[in-house]
Amino acid sequence: MKQKWIRRIIGGLSFTSALFIFQACYGTPQDFGQDLLIEGQVKSKSTGLPINGIKVSVVDNEQYEITNEEGKFSFYSEMLEDIVLSFQDVDSISNGLYMTKDTMLNYTDSKVYVDIVLEEMK
Amino acid sequence: MISAIKRYAFRKFKESEVKLHELNYLFWECTTRCNLNCLHCGSDCAKDSAFSDMPIDDFLKAIDTIETNSQNFTVVFTGGEPLMRSDIELCGRELRKRGLKWAIVSNGHLYDEKRHISLLNSGLGALTISLDGLEYSHNWLRNNDFSFKKVIAAIELAATSNRLNFDVVTCVNQQNIDELVQIKDLLVSKNVKAWRLFTIIPIGRAVDNSLLSLSDFQFVSLMEFISEQRKQKEIDIKFSCEGFVGNYEPLVRDSYFFCRAGINIGSVLIDGAISACPNIDRDFSQGNIYTDNFFDIWQHKFQPFRNREWTKKGQCKSCKDFKDCQGNGFHNWHGDKKNVLVCHKEK
Repeated sequence: MKQKWIRRIIGGLSFTSALFIFQACYGTPQDFGQDLLIEGQVKSKSTGLPINGIKVSVVDNEQYEITNEEGKFSFYSEMLEDIVLSFQDVDSISNGLYMTKDTMLNYTDSKVYVDIVLEEMK
Repeated sequence: MISAIKRYAFRKFKESEVKLHELNYLFWECTTRCNLNCLHCGSDCAKDSAFSDMPIDDFLKAIDTIETNSQNFTVVFTGGEPLMRSDIELCGRELRKRGLKWAIVSNGHLYDEKRHISLLNSGLGALTISLDGLEYSHNWLRNNDFSFKKVIAAIELAATSNRLNFDVVTCVNQQNIDELVQIKDLLVSKNVKAWRLFTIIPIGRAVDNSLLSLSDFQFVSLMEFISEQRKQKEIDIKFSCEGFVGNYEPLVRDSYFFCRAGINIGSVLIDGAISACPNIDRDFSQGNIYTDNFFDIWQHKFQPFRNREWTKKGQCKSCKDFKDCQGNGFHNWHGDKKNVLVCHKEK
């Protein structure tokens, strides 16, 4: 701990920026970014069963994931003030046809779990 | 006077970093397979079909020996070409579960929209893509007629992500030294925020190709270009940490030269060897993850990296800048190690 304080003081005296930010000659920049782990499960309102093949995407962002056989999804996304997730049936009628649903995420941590129920189209 | 104080303080800072030797940055040479056949192969990375890709579990076992993770500890996947592996997303997720960040160095050939999304979904946080010139000169170095188009598409994709800490690197050589302004304009037009330039060290295939090395005059013009462009602030441009550049030292980077190989930078190489940057002579390996505890090696070995007095030989022996340079970048000691391969300051 003492050594770390010495490091900060001496580093500051050399007046160079980015003392503790570096990258190896042939490596990448270090990652100081923040992201959010978004996980959850999508189920059918009528049957209560998990739905696979639902596209889960962040609105205004290129990222998406498709739910698996257990209706589950998991992905990291940029941490923004407001994140709206969209749930869209993109595999046609292969396992029923569901209405699209958007939901605003409420999170206080670096991860959030979302349970979503989709209604079948009549 | 102020400059002398800064340099003195920076030397003391380096000494304290060596004492701490906190592991902040770990290369994983996850494959030596590659989809290109670059003219400078073996200089900064190597292609070697003799090795199988290292299983993820073997690498994670080494990672799990690390007792204290520093803040922002990053695992950097390198190769070969890391995107030749289809399971790096899986490894990335495992690293994130352990609270670690990860990044990739890529030639961009396989970086399409599907892969971009799948990498981001798995928690990729930083990315470096190589662009080595305008179309002719890039394809010349990469030895592939389609490489430029693919890498530009990859750069455009990567630049769309606010999440990625992304930069472009360029190996400056005789073919592209006169194109630097146009390359900069191209990168700015593609919304690239950071550009890192380096030269090609004469190892691997680069030994026998004189077009890959810069003349002393060209090297100085490169330093002038970088220092001038840094004033313009159109793009965050810098010279890589490959070597000590004398009077240009405060002008071409954010900080003075400090080779952190073995001090903050470690690696797990394709055969399990434990070392620092992958372009360092493999004779300097300090152990092997298949026979040693990775973190134990990191904590208690690496003496040649943490005490560079042994580099005080050859042209470094009587150099007045040795205290600041300390034998230049560690990757400049290859073969018989009787002399430094490149002295940037003397150019």
